[in-house]
Order: sequence, then C-alpha cells, then structure tokens
Amino acid sequence: MADRTPRIEVAGLVFRVAGLAAAGRVWVEGRYAPFLSRRAPAFGVHVRASERYRPGRTPRPSATWTNGRFALASHPSRADGDLARRRVAFRAGPGPAFNPDLFRLLCSFLLMQKGGVLLHASAVVDRGRAWVFSGPSGSGKTTIAGLAGDRPVLNDETIALRPGARGWDACATPFYGSGGPAMARVNERAPLRGLCFLRKADRFGHRRLSPSEAVARAFPEVMLPKRDGRVTERLLATLAAVAAAVPAWELEFAPDTALWSYLDGLG
Amino acid sequence: MDSAEVFPVRKSVPWRTLDTEALLVDVKGGLLYPLNSVGARIWDLCDGARSVDEIVGVLAVEFEAPETTIRADAIEFIERLAGAKLVSIERRRKGETR
Repeated sequence: MADRTPRIEVAGLVFRVAGLAAAGRVWVEGRYAPFLSRRAPAFGVHVRASERYRPGRTPRPSATWTNGRFALASHPSRADGDLARRRVAFRAGPGPAFNPDLFRLLCSFLLMQKGGVLLHASAVVDRGRAWVFSGPSGSGKTTIAGLAGDRPVLNDETIALRPGARGWDACATPFYGSGGPAMARVNERAPLRGLCFLRKADRFGHRRLSPSEAVARAFPEVMLPKRDGRVTERLLATLAAVAAAVPAWELEFAPDTALWSYLDGLG
Repeated sequence: MDSAEVFPVRKSVPWRTLDTEALLVDVKGGLLYPLNSVGARIWDLCDGARSVDEIVGVLAVEFEAPETTIRADAIEFIERLAGAKLVSIERRRKGETR
C-alpha cells in the first residue's frame, strides 16, 4: 500500500511529516501543495499535539545545538531533533498541528547544516537568474515581487540560498509574506544573479556593498535566532561565502516595472 | 587604562575577518558589530598580551595619524568592546611580558 504520509521539499530538503490526524494531513497537503514531493525523505518529522499551553509572556524563538542534537522553539510549539538519526519530534501547542513558523525554523536550521541560509527576502527570476531582495518588514520585498510580471516569483518573504552546481542558487520556499499563497506557487531554484538590500525611495539608486557590508546587512535578515555561538559561527561563515561570490547592492527603488531594466545596468 | 592592563577577547565571541574589515557577534544580544579596518586591527591586537601602549605603538606605525589621536580612539574603542563584553580588561600577571 502506498505511503500517504505527506512529504514536503524545501530547497532540496525532503521532510516526511508523520503523526498528523486526518484533518491535519489535509491542511498540510493544501498549505504546502506546490512543495509536496515524492522524493526520498532526508528527515522524518513526527508531530505530536502534546505540548501543554503555558500562559504568560510569549518566549522568543530559540535554536540551540549540542553534540548532534538540536532544540528549536517557536511558541507555542517546539522541535527536538537528532542530526545523525535524521529525526525531529514536533510538539505542537494550540494552533495548526504543523506550526509553519516552527517548520520554517527547522528548515533554516537544517539548511544551515547543509551550508545554506534562509533569508528574509523576496526573489524574482529574470532570464534564468534570480535577483534576491532583502530587508526588514516594510522595505518593499512584496512590492517588488508584485512588479515581477511574467517573471517567476520564488517567494515574497523567505528565500533559501544554498550552494549549487555552479555557484549559489536562490530557492523557493513555502513561507510567504503579505502577498499570500500566490507568492509561493512554484518550487524552483535559479542561480543567484545578485543580492539587493532595499530602501524605498521615489526614484532608482544604488550603491555597491563591500563583502563585509553585505554580511552585516544580511545577518539580521537570517531567519534563525542568533543567541547560540555555534549557530552564529556557521551563519557568519555561510554569509561570508555568499558575499565573496555574489555581488550585493543597496538598492533604492520606486514601485515601477522599470526596475528590471535598471537592474540590468548594475553591472 | 594603564600599561599593566591587557585585553583578551572573549572566546565565546564569533567573529570573522573579510578583507581588512571584521564582523563580531554579540551572541547574548544577537547583534552583529561591523568593524572598519582600524577597528579590525585593534580587535586583532587585543590578544590578552598587549597593553594599550603596545597596541597604540603598532597602530601608529601602520596608520597615518597623530599618536595622541590614535591613543584616544583606541582607548575609547577598547572600552566600548569591554562594555559590550566582547573583550575583558585584565591585569597583566607580575613578571609577565609579551
């Protein structure tokens, strides 16, 4: 009999999500539809709706990692994993049985283990190569994704960067922002053309960033808590490798489709 | 700050040099501190063996600026690093020289 347990693929990482009740499975299959996969899973996730609700102040998300075991928390859910056994136990609190914020945190942590990084960014593929636009909330990530026209949008909120066959690739993720599910319709990847750190303006402008400036801009946008020394060491190494290989700019932009020809001129 | 004080960097501080600049992370606060080339050099010289006089001596050879300016800037910068708990300020042990 065929295995009906959902498998979700994000940036080449395949998760088999077991332990869901029928309603939870239907929800997962709808929420992650473009990212469902038949490939062999790299990680088994077992979900248990057993976390007791604790009233009081909402704790900050956390990520800790010791001797091959890791613990991730995104209130009210937490995940405990074993890297060698490739198993993760999800304990869900009130809310969706498969908390998307915690799943994003899990993807971010495991992507880091593979030498990649999950960035607070949108990305648009233009002539086969991806422009990645990063910045804090309100900086224009979704606005730019909305200017894509016929160009594929990889996401308006969360983009995975990971080493590809020839340099760095930008990968789609299912973790969309204010643009909604329409911004996470394809599960594709494309070679990274450039990184732009956004600043809203009434006209176009740009400044090339040095590698250290690019790392400093990207670091706060990495979707992983940065209060664990080993996690932070790994992130710095990954961002330094990206910044050494991929050009980065500070980009002022007006919400106009002339953006794409402006980007062509960045060199 | 006197010649008996040395400034070991905290071992738990993740940091990385890129070209001549450096990036330090305050893990407790989750903050990243970008350093320019002078700051990166001072960070490099905070090895737990050099005093502020010795650090200023190296900087005065490597950078074109009056030594009084370098000293004032170096002291202020090291105090800021210590305030952020990125380096310690310790007394050099008796008889210990670099």
